[in-house]
Amino acid sequence: MILEVKGIRKCFGGVVALSDGNLVCRRGRITGLLGANGSGKSTISKIITGVYSADCGEINYNGQCVKYKNPNEARQDGIAMVFQNLSLVPDLTVWQNIVLGAEQKKGLGLDNQCAKEQSEAIINKLQPGLDISKKVSQLNPGEMQIVEIAKAISANPRLLILDEPTAALEQAQVKNLFAYMRELADQGVSMIFTSHRMWEVMEICDDVIIFRNGENVAGIDFHKEGKDAERIIGYITGDTKKEECQIGDRQIDGETVLSIKGMNYGKMLKNISFDLRAGEVLGIGGLAGQGQNELLLALAGAYPEMKCDAEIKGRKIKLTKPVNAVRNSILLVPGDRQLEGLFLKDSVYKNTIFPKLALKRQPIFTPDKKYRQECEQMVKSLSVKTHNIDTPVGTLSGGNQQKVVVGKWLSFDINVLLLADPAKGVDIGAKRDLYQYITDMVREKNTSVILYASDSEELIQYCDRVLIMYEGQIVESLEGCDINEDAIVSASMCINKAKEVG
Amino acid sequence: MNPLKNQTGSVGLVQNSSLNAIWNNNKKTIIAFLLILFLFLLGEIVVSNFLSMGQILLTIKLSAFIALFALCQMIVIAAGGAGLDLSVGFTATLTAILTASVMDGQNGNLLPAILVALAVGAVIGLANGALIAYVKLPPLVVTMAMASIIQGVINVYTAGKNITGKPAPILELIAAKSTGIFPNILFLLLIVAVVVMILLYKTKWGLKLFGVGTNETTAYLSGVNVKAVRLAAFVISGVTAGMIGLLLIGNMGIAFKDMGSSYVMPSIAAVVVGGVSLVGGEGNYFRVILGSIFLQTLTNLLVALGWGDAGKWLGFGIVLFALLIAYVSDRRKR
Amino acid sequence: MSQIKKSLKIENLKKIIMKQEFSSMLILLVMFVITAVLQNNFFERGSIIRNINAFAPLILLAMGQAVVILSGALDLSAGAALSLQTCILTYVMKQADPVTGVYALILSFIAAVLIGVINGIGIGYLRIPPVIITFATSYIWLGAALFIRPTPGGESVSWFKIFYDAKSAEGVPALIKAIGGIIPPALILVLVGCLIWYFISRTKTGRYIYAVGSSNDSAYATGINTARVQMTAFIINSVFIFLAALFFVGQNQSGDARMGDPMTLKAIAAAVVGGIALTGGKGSVYMAIVGALILSFVNKIIFFANIPNAYQTLVSGLIIIAAIASSMAYSHMNKKAMLKESK
Repeated sequence: MILEVKGIRKCFGGVVALSDGNLVCRRGRITGLLGANGSGKSTISKIITGVYSADCGEINYNGQCVKYKNPNEARQDGIAMVFQNLSLVPDLTVWQNIVLGAEQKKGLGLDNQCAKEQSEAIINKLQPGLDISKKVSQLNPGEMQIVEIAKAISANPRLLILDEPTAALEQAQVKNLFAYMRELADQGVSMIFTSHRMWEVMEICDDVIIFRNGENVAGIDFHKEGKDAERIIGYITGDTKKEECQIGDRQIDGETVLSIKGMNYGKMLKNISFDLRAGEVLGIGGLAGQGQNELLLALAGAYPEMKCDAEIKGRKIKLTKPVNAVRNSILLVPGDRQLEGLFLKDSVYKNTIFPKLALKRQPIFTPDKKYRQECEQMVKSLSVKTHNIDTPVGTLSGGNQQKVVVGKWLSFDINVLLLADPAKGVDIGAKRDLYQYITDMVREKNTSVILYASDSEELIQYCDRVLIMYEGQIVESLEGCDINEDAIVSASMCINKAKEVG
Repeated sequence: MNPLKNQTGSVGLVQNSSLNAIWNNNKKTIIAFLLILFLFLLGEIVVSNFLSMGQILLTIKLSAFIALFALCQMIVIAAGGAGLDLSVGFTATLTAILTASVMDGQNGNLLPAILVALAVGAVIGLANGALIAYVKLPPLVVTMAMASIIQGVINVYTAGKNITGKPAPILELIAAKSTGIFPNILFLLLIVAVVVMILLYKTKWGLKLFGVGTNETTAYLSGVNVKAVRLAAFVISGVTAGMIGLLLIGNMGIAFKDMGSSYVMPSIAAVVVGGVSLVGGEGNYFRVILGSIFLQTLTNLLVALGWGDAGKWLGFGIVLFALLIAYVSDRRKR
Repeated sequence: MSQIKKSLKIENLKKIIMKQEFSSMLILLVMFVITAVLQNNFFERGSIIRNINAFAPLILLAMGQAVVILSGALDLSAGAALSLQTCILTYVMKQADPVTGVYALILSFIAAVLIGVINGIGIGYLRIPPVIITFATSYIWLGAALFIRPTPGGESVSWFKIFYDAKSAEGVPALIKAIGGIIPPALILVLVGCLIWYFISRTKTGRYIYAVGSSNDSAYATGINTARVQMTAFIINSVFIFLAALFFVGQNQSGDARMGDPMTLKAIAAAVVGGIALTGGKGSVYMAIVGALILSFVNKIIFFANIPNAYQTLVSGLIIIAAIASSMAYSHMNKKAMLKESK
């Protein structure tokens, strides 16, 4: 046994990310961590390597109790982690990045030859043909991820933690990675592997630990107990019955509210066209990072270079400035609420009234009395848990912050509400409140919604139609009864396309 | 558990936290006050006759000019994006020199002089703002280069001739004279302060400015024209600096080449001493005025000690350095 | 086949032309030619030495500033530090006593390290934005310089002239004189600069300076001591400032607490004109030399163009801001071109 983690607890603000995390990792074995978004599987890896410190609990590594202050300490002890948010230096080359921090000296200078050979050897296994003297800033996200993995491996770790390494990778790259992981495992390296994609875990791992709501609910040794997908899914979703589709099979025959034709933005968005009807909830699905966030940002006017023909209720508009989107009531609840949606140090009230400033004919002096009443109303109707409306938004929990982001648009006569993964980092109660409010709004006011959710469950529950994106394109449109887990997953992986090519 | 004990415990906690809240909300104001008090006491002990009414009022009068320059800095700092304006002192000098001959000691010529000051300030502010907001050059480098350009213009204008002209008597009345024991410029500063606070905290423009400074991305996605707001901040700074030029000449009675440049450093230091974040998104002008008073008191003390210019700049530098460590340093984040 | 080769070559050529280094070199060449035409005795030995000597301080300051900019910071106190150094040197030196020159060198070097350490602590360890902390320290240096030397003046030992013109220096061994006669001292100092360039491009710390400047957080996550790297950059910079001060004192035989004020902006401008990105991590130290040379030649051209003295600050200020704006615009353009290419 190389690593044993017992009873880890971790809270962020008011949200419990991990209530009771346990895991065991054996020498030369690959341990998979599975679980839904926010189940705590990423958090526990970050606690092991010292990115976060645990509130309580114990980590035993090689028979010793350890508590790392930062990932660097862990690395020196032989625990390397592949980060999800990349730790690469953009202006250095691939090989310089791989050996960064561990350069060998030779004579008066550095041993660049050795470093290049070492990097070449690792890169060749992961992605043959990648030019190691390219600058990292010139690589695409998948290649960057490969370099990130190579960097972790080059430290010759005894325990390698891979946190969602495959999210940005193509299938060929994943294949190479798995072959290399197997090779390393045979050499005695232990690995912890997290992924959203169950089939990947089932393919590469020796055993799997399943997380749900911040605790590990099961551990399965594949060699002894076999690989039973049904059983794993059972553990991931829990015993709770799946909620019924809230929107139901409605007939959407309202007028077309928003019509997009030929939207293009660099490599992010390619030739996207769709119509959105009044009262329709349009879902956007697919693997993470296929352009969903960019699509919503583009609709909100965030990209001046974006090209498309857009019509709102039959009227042509230009979506090249956010102010145009706001004045046409195409309103965005962005994916990164702290960076893109809120003024953290300002009060709930200030955050709520800010969007009104973009509207025409605003009074010079802000009518505080009127606005405060509106804000109080918003807090009530969305049941935002806050001391009062002058409390800084930064002190609220994630869910309540998200409610404020939605709430700041409520005084508008919404044409289209764009929701970018609104349930991310939001506790269950707040998530339910939020979706309840939005579905009510759709029913009562016939509001149109475009919803991107990384959790396909949300798409299934709330959407009338789901568009699946892959590498910046819409590859599939699902409607009615076709919206189910299997269809979404296979469309997301672009299986049909892969079959055609293969 | 003893319920009574529990109760008193929680009451104590509440009192404690409300005291804490007062301290937390006004920490920087209180510190600025204490620093000023400390300097006056120190001055009284080291140099006699420091704590007299006349001396205090004189200090406040002189600090008014620092405070007005600091207003320029506060506005561009509030707009975020590492905004600072190193050209304000030179702008003021330029308008003072240009308007001196326009006014020529006549009240009747005040209006054209104001127009000149406005125009000069607006042009400089527009140039700064356009290069910073639209060409995306770093504010410090742009305004530093602008300062050297304005210095160049001044050199050209004054080459081979004396700077002539006198301020309009009204300007002298405002900037140099007193009503009773109170210097008139205090009233002006008070009016400016109230107007600024209303502009920043009660109007849509103030909200936009702070929003852009606090979180550019959020402001942009909410439909605010971030570039226009930043440009406007620099134009306000330029225009304000131009008007201060009129007050400077009003106070001095004549215009000369270096009359404004020595105010640049104190104007930034005043904002820091006042505890206004340099990251942007806030701007309590009353605190900045406190900061200005502190710096002027420090100057007086150092001059009284006979340390002169060297002591003044060294003192300003060290105070700024120390307060940056106290207020800006974010070593705890890692 | 040959067609493909040809198109490849053209592609390469395009890439070279699109690089700012190329255009900076081209501008330098043009400036060089114009100056050579305007200055009658440009290629005579005496005027070459005089030119290099006149350009050397800015070249040194630009290289130092370049190291700091590459590390992701900016030094606004460089000019004030330069003034302070000239004041320290001329304060310690007594013309009658040649040994005082050695004391002055030692003391000034210690001051250089101290200046670098103070700036480095503020930026690296206390994590205060570089621009604002060096703005504060610049006034500390100014105050200290005014304390030492309230008015310009002072004296220097006669052998200090070796930093300017070894031939005319007194009390110097014949050998040094002879070497100095062939190679101007300024050139030797540029060689020192090359040494530092080697340090930047061939050592660990050198590479870490790029890494920290390119992405401080990533470098930190990789386990690099970013604070120490930033401090090292500032110490290197202040050693360059120290060297520049030797030139000033060698040339002018006096110190001045305000002489360095305009140099800060010029040094930054030189680095930017040389294609070093103010965002850090991009560019190379030797391009700062190119930038400094361009600005120096422009100054010469302004001088030869018979522009009245009063106009010179104005014109050079305008040129600096135009240079900075155009290099920024150029790099924006390049980025867009790269985006298109990758499409």
